[in-house]
Amino acid sequence: MKLWAIAINTFREAIRDRILYLILAFALIMIGAGRAVSLLTVGSEEKIIKDMGLAAISLFGVATAIFVGVGLVFKEIEKRTIQTLTAKPIRRSEFVLGKYLGLALVLFVNLSIMTLAFYGLLWLKGYLDVTLGKAIALIFVELLLVTAIAIFFSSFSSPLLSSLFSVTLYLIGHLSWGLPLMADRLESPAGRWICHALFRVLPNLEYLNIKGRVVHRLPVSGEDMVLAAVYGLGYTLVVLMLAVGIFRKRDFL
Amino acid sequence: MIRRLLIALAFVAAAAATAGAEGRLHALRSSQPAGSQLLYLPSGKYLRAMAPGFREVMADVLYLWSIQYYADYRPDERSRFLEHVYAGVITELDPHYQDPYIVGALIMAVEAGDVEMGLRLLDKGIAANPNAWLLMFEAGFYCYDTLQDYARAARYFERAMMVPGVHPLVRRLHAEMYNLMGDRRASWRYWLEIYNTAEGDYVRSVAYRHVHDLKIQVDLESLTSAVKAYAGRFGRFPADLGALVEARILSSVPHDPEGNPYVYNRNNGQARSAAKPLLRQRQL
Amino acid sequence: MSESEIVLKVERLEKSYWGHLRLRRHRVLRGLDLGVARGEIFGLLGQNGAGKTTTIKIILGLVFPDAGSVRLFGRRNTVVSVRERIGFLPENPYFYEYLTGREFLDYMGRLFGYSEYERKRRIGSILERVGMSGRSDVQLRKFSKGMLQRIGLAQALINDPDLVILDEPMSGLDPIGRREFRDIILSLKERGKTVFLSSHILSDAEALCDRVGIVKDGVVSAEGRLEDLLRPTVRSWEVTFSGPRPADLGGAEILAVRGTETLARVTTEADLARLLEGVRAEGCRLIAVVPRRDTLEDLYLKEVGGP
Repeated sequence: MKLWAIAINTFREAIRDRILYLILAFALIMIGAGRAVSLLTVGSEEKIIKDMGLAAISLFGVATAIFVGVGLVFKEIEKRTIQTLTAKPIRRSEFVLGKYLGLALVLFVNLSIMTLAFYGLLWLKGYLDVTLGKAIALIFVELLLVTAIAIFFSSFSSPLLSSLFSVTLYLIGHLSWGLPLMADRLESPAGRWICHALFRVLPNLEYLNIKGRVVHRLPVSGEDMVLAAVYGLGYTLVVLMLAVGIFRKRDFL
Repeated sequence: MIRRLLIALAFVAAAAATAGAEGRLHALRSSQPAGSQLLYLPSGKYLRAMAPGFREVMADVLYLWSIQYYADYRPDERSRFLEHVYAGVITELDPHYQDPYIVGALIMAVEAGDVEMGLRLLDKGIAANPNAWLLMFEAGFYCYDTLQDYARAARYFERAMMVPGVHPLVRRLHAEMYNLMGDRRASWRYWLEIYNTAEGDYVRSVAYRHVHDLKIQVDLESLTSAVKAYAGRFGRFPADLGALVEARILSSVPHDPEGNPYVYNRNNGQARSAAKPLLRQRQL
Repeated sequence: MSESEIVLKVERLEKSYWGHLRLRRHRVLRGLDLGVARGEIFGLLGQNGAGKTTTIKIILGLVFPDAGSVRLFGRRNTVVSVRERIGFLPENPYFYEYLTGREFLDYMGRLFGYSEYERKRRIGSILERVGMSGRSDVQLRKFSKGMLQRIGLAQALINDPDLVILDEPMSGLDPIGRREFRDIILSLKERGKTVFLSSHILSDAEALCDRVGIVKDGVVSAEGRLEDLLRPTVRSWEVTFSGPRPADLGGAEILAVRGTETLARVTTEADLARLLEGVRAEGCRLIAVVPRRDTLEDLYLKEVGGP
């Protein structure tokens, strides 16, 4: 089907993008660095390796999602391959969704490689705990959402701005818990309402972050995971639809 | 046309599902206080390695978060990580940042009711910052105010006094600690020093009052013990205070700070002062 | 032109672009009309910036007009299924660098929904037609311009479209390549296809097109069959002869002299007769008599405004 063809092509193109390998290399280094860092001190090696490993997977996954994602759409427009594509019987929505799917595939492969390396290191040291996979699963959902955000921005702005906006929204997504705290300190009811409203509406990426709980072997209920996944995927769908909506109406000069 | 309707429907469905999940997640996660996952931070030593060049900023951010977190008083589990957060993380990241020591100790002592934990934290701060007289003062104050361990408090104040630029109040507290311990002689000596080196009228007058009252007490103490010694030796109270000098128990008869002799009752061997104490008898 | 035969109909297209910060408005298309009938080769001509590229982009659905409509095969150009019957070759085409020529065409084929067998078949035959059969298993980034142009044409024709849109199809081709492209375009017409091309190269347009449209200031200022636009009458004759110049040249104008050969121009039949008579009388050798009609270049310059 046509969506799949676009996705495969996107995948192939992204594979050839060197920045992908750079990011992957850094990720693997960081996963290994957990071992090195723990040499600096006594005890807690297991926690450090797990923490750094999960952080690496998350961070570099997001970096890939944003920088490769933004580049993909931009390249098509700038290199004018999009002109050739527009003349074909595909919808613009199919184009955007196909690109998204391709990128999601890239992220999946990326994540798998990093997870394998991570699990490998853990197994060698005897710390292997497959429940860590729960955190990684939600990290993947987070990546899907961040990618959608990156594609959304790049459907109407330059790659530089798109990257900037995406990174900013990612940071906001992880710091939004500060909004209710801030609301308590504000005097005006309007200000407080705005803070609370923003907190509910902005993508709260912390819902998808269970790294701490998993490393400390705290329980994560099935309900929690399902809700988080629904939230992440639902938000992703909404953002994608908005992206498609914008993409459909723009001129390609 | 139908396609458009379906797409709109899908959009609304996705938005609704997201909002629904969000609501439920919010309720679930709200049972834990905001940012509580920060409690599970690794030790500051590790964090230092992970954030080279930004240690201090990390300390700032964590400190600010900790204030918010501990500000809403809820005992039980919050105190569980108190020492880890302050002693293990924030002060490890930035050992020279003084506020976390002070505020951390405050929370430990007052909110969590664990003064020793607070003192441990302050000791850590003092070790890392030998010139932080404020930390020593705080520690001394907890010993004095909460533990009523005046000797320990005095030791802290003494350390603080050695730091140049220390607030003069610390010296006065130091002197007073000896009084509270019952060592009036030492207290009097310290107060006398303060009086002699006082730089302003206020301090001098405060010191004078203490010196005045302490001298009376010290004198009365030595008179009482001298009379006891006399009675032990001669089997009766001395006729007057001069007799104590003749018996070589005292080298001279002390006068009160106003220059007047002490009033002595030869029948019960009690000496007392005609001068009134200058300080209000407050319950210290 | 009968209505049912109109393959591409553009009506009253308007498009403006806004300058920085929406301060200035630049009107590119100001009510552009044109129509292309089935089986003909139509050439869109005009200066850069006159609106040619914008028009093509609007036709393809890359850009949305402020007003006006475009109909392909009688249906709105925004309908996706319409594009199954068209093929497009952009100017200076760029394709996916890391795909080979064949992989690229395969990708394009998938976008039409062709089965694997169907794709193989079409790719084989189209590569043959554009002369790229042996050379398409190399990555596109290693292609020369001419090769890229051919692959571009291949992807435009892979679905055997009824309407082929070509934007500067001859650019970057060497003379042999241009000849081959010309032949392919003409063969398309023979097979009943319609071709819409835009070009700078007037001689190509003159040789290929049945009808042309000249775009100036956002409208089509001249449109029609070449024969209709260009005056059929002979405007002048150019006579080349060698030998001594006849004394009485009449209205003839000497254009050039090379050695013993003279090139002269006359504008009326009477002058021509007089000159030929003079040449014969002097005993000169008559080398050539070439009637000159309006060229497309003349028309173009007239419409567009020369220097």
